[in-house]
Amino acid sequence: MVVPTGQIVGFLGPNGSGKTTTMRSIMGLVAIDRGSITWRGEPITDHIRHTFGYMPAERGMYPKMRVREQLVYFARLAGSDQDRADAAADRWLERMGLTDRANDELQALSSGNQQRVQLAIALVHDPELLILDEPFSGLDPVAVETMKALLVEEVERGVTVLLSSHQLDLVSDVCPDVVIVSQGRIVLEGAVHDIRNRSPKRYVTATVGAGDVAAFEPPISSWDVVTRADGVLRLSVPSSCDAREVFDAVSAIGPIVEFAFAAPELSEVFIESVGQGES
Amino acid sequence: MTSPSLLVARREVIQRVRRRSFLIFTALVAIVVIAGGVLAAVIGDDSTTSYDVGVVSAESSGDEFVSILTNIGTATDITIDTTVFDSSDAAAAALKDGDIDVLVDVGERTDTWQRDIDGQLASLIDTGWQAWSAAGAARDAGLTDDQIVAILAPDPLSTTVVDPSVDDLAGMLVGFVSAALLFISIATFGGYVLTGVVEEKSTGVIEVLLSHVRADQLMAGKVFGIGVVALLQFSVTVLAGLISLRISGIDVPSEIWIGLPATVGWFIGGFLLYSTLFALAGSFVSRMEDAQGAAAPITSAFTVAYVLVFTVGSDPTSLATRVLSIIPPFAPLLMPLRMVTGAASIVEIVVAAVLLALSVVAMIRLAGSVYARTLLHRGSRLTWRGALRRPKSLAD
Repeated sequence: MVVPTGQIVGFLGPNGSGKTTTMRSIMGLVAIDRGSITWRGEPITDHIRHTFGYMPAERGMYPKMRVREQLVYFARLAGSDQDRADAAADRWLERMGLTDRANDELQALSSGNQQRVQLAIALVHDPELLILDEPFSGLDPVAVETMKALLVEEVERGVTVLLSSHQLDLVSDVCPDVVIVSQGRIVLEGAVHDIRNRSPKRYVTATVGAGDVAAFEPPISSWDVVTRADGVLRLSVPSSCDAREVFDAVSAIGPIVEFAFAAPELSEVFIESVGQGES
Repeated sequence: MTSPSLLVARREVIQRVRRRSFLIFTALVAIVVIAGGVLAAVIGDDSTTSYDVGVVSAESSGDEFVSILTNIGTATDITIDTTVFDSSDAAAAALKDGDIDVLVDVGERTDTWQRDIDGQLASLIDTGWQAWSAAGAARDAGLTDDQIVAILAPDPLSTTVVDPSVDDLAGMLVGFVSAALLFISIATFGGYVLTGVVEEKSTGVIEVLLSHVRADQLMAGKVFGIGVVALLQFSVTVLAGLISLRISGIDVPSEIWIGLPATVGWFIGGFLLYSTLFALAGSFVSRMEDAQGAAAPITSAFTVAYVLVFTVGSDPTSLATRVLSIIPPFAPLLMPLRMVTGAASIVEIVVAAVLLALSVVAMIRLAGSVYARTLLHRGSRLTWRGALRRPKSLAD
């Protein structure tokens, strides 16, 4: 797989598909049996790895250490000198809105704030590449949006980001490109838009105002009813199908209040390609 | 750029020294040790034995008995204060009041005690009585004073001890206290290394650390940093001990002034050896509640070494002590005892130190290698076999 520099790539797949192992091997935490990992065409050395920022899936910080000291410490371990580390710690505290908590012990912070510190640790030494393992897990929807915005800012500054998620659809708005793995193998890769459009299927979601959705019978055999309940009908149709044709067919059972004709979500494409029972 | 190990060590020092518990504990130990010296000095003054003897003597011949008694006291390091009474009534009253411990009537040839006979004082008086009687008899026989002195106080024998056995109580005591101090400090700070390693695994911070630092650098930094803190506390205690000994005024063998500071050296070696083993044990587990279990073999071995100090070590010159004090796991606890009692030869000390240094290097190598394999392990405790079979987590 390739992560283009200066871009953000989503690394997706169900639990146990090998995402964490891949990320750990990039960070030099596990040795690889076969294959190679390079950064800008060079094999990754300890020195190069100092330009990487890492946020592991299982969060890791010192509970009893003060927040600012923690940031300075990790910046220094990543090779920054004392002055740069101090300045970067202050900058990131401010950016995360944690300046007033700088001298608190980490364990005194809420889990959302701890998550921010964890991200700040990954960023405090101005890395060129960010490896984020499940950065959105455990975050509330507002925090997810905040973090996405921050990542987009970093990418605009030229940082390359590889982030993993087992929730395939959560990242599609922030990652234009994704790599989807299953059981250690890449099953899909490329632009989210292309992957979805490449699918031979389209999904139709129609809310019918009056009339019984249970009465709907697909007029064409290649149309499948996925679900029907509470006045909402969900169909899967071939991508060659015309939206208007479906609309007309559904209108026959009653007036349509809401109608959507779209390429499948990433998770749906994923299930299509690896089969049911994977996620 | 500062070396990663130093950064790790610096963090350990700052985080630990700043804790209030550390400051309080260190200060408390120093105060207790010095207070012990002050107490010994105060009690020590009282413990210089002194007696009050009343002598009833009508004639001046009693004066000679008094001076003989005083001289015996001086020679035996015992203060004998004497009071001469003209009448036995006044003397009896003084005895009853407790002003004097015993009453000797020279004319009546009696000694009278109020309640219990003090064996030491009784024998002093007997000696004095014999000398005084002999002097009187000799004078009656016509001997000159010089002749009498020659008989009663001849030139003393010149004494030589060919092979003195080491049996100085103060030295042994300091040796035992040093061993106890070493044991407590190494167990405490080795325990910090253990929990420190497990904490980094259980909180997951290890993964972030290892993305920037090699496992052996991390271990070296941790052991070194905690070691500096331990050494700080240990040195304060030893210094307090030296001050305490000075204050106490207790007569101590001169070896102690070198031997006690030398325990600092043994402490460094012992700490490095045991804390590396503790780090190793810590790398096998990932939960705090498993930590003590993983360290049990090391703790047991260390405790055995400690017990040996008080059993085998109580004879610092025995063959068993000599051999054990050279073997690395035991040397840090046993050698200080043998050094302060002056039982260790330079060769033995050097051999023990070199062996200890070599074993520390070997342990650090081994621990570093195992550490790299086990740090990312989560879940139940690893076995030795399981640990060595794991691939090294760091891509070389």
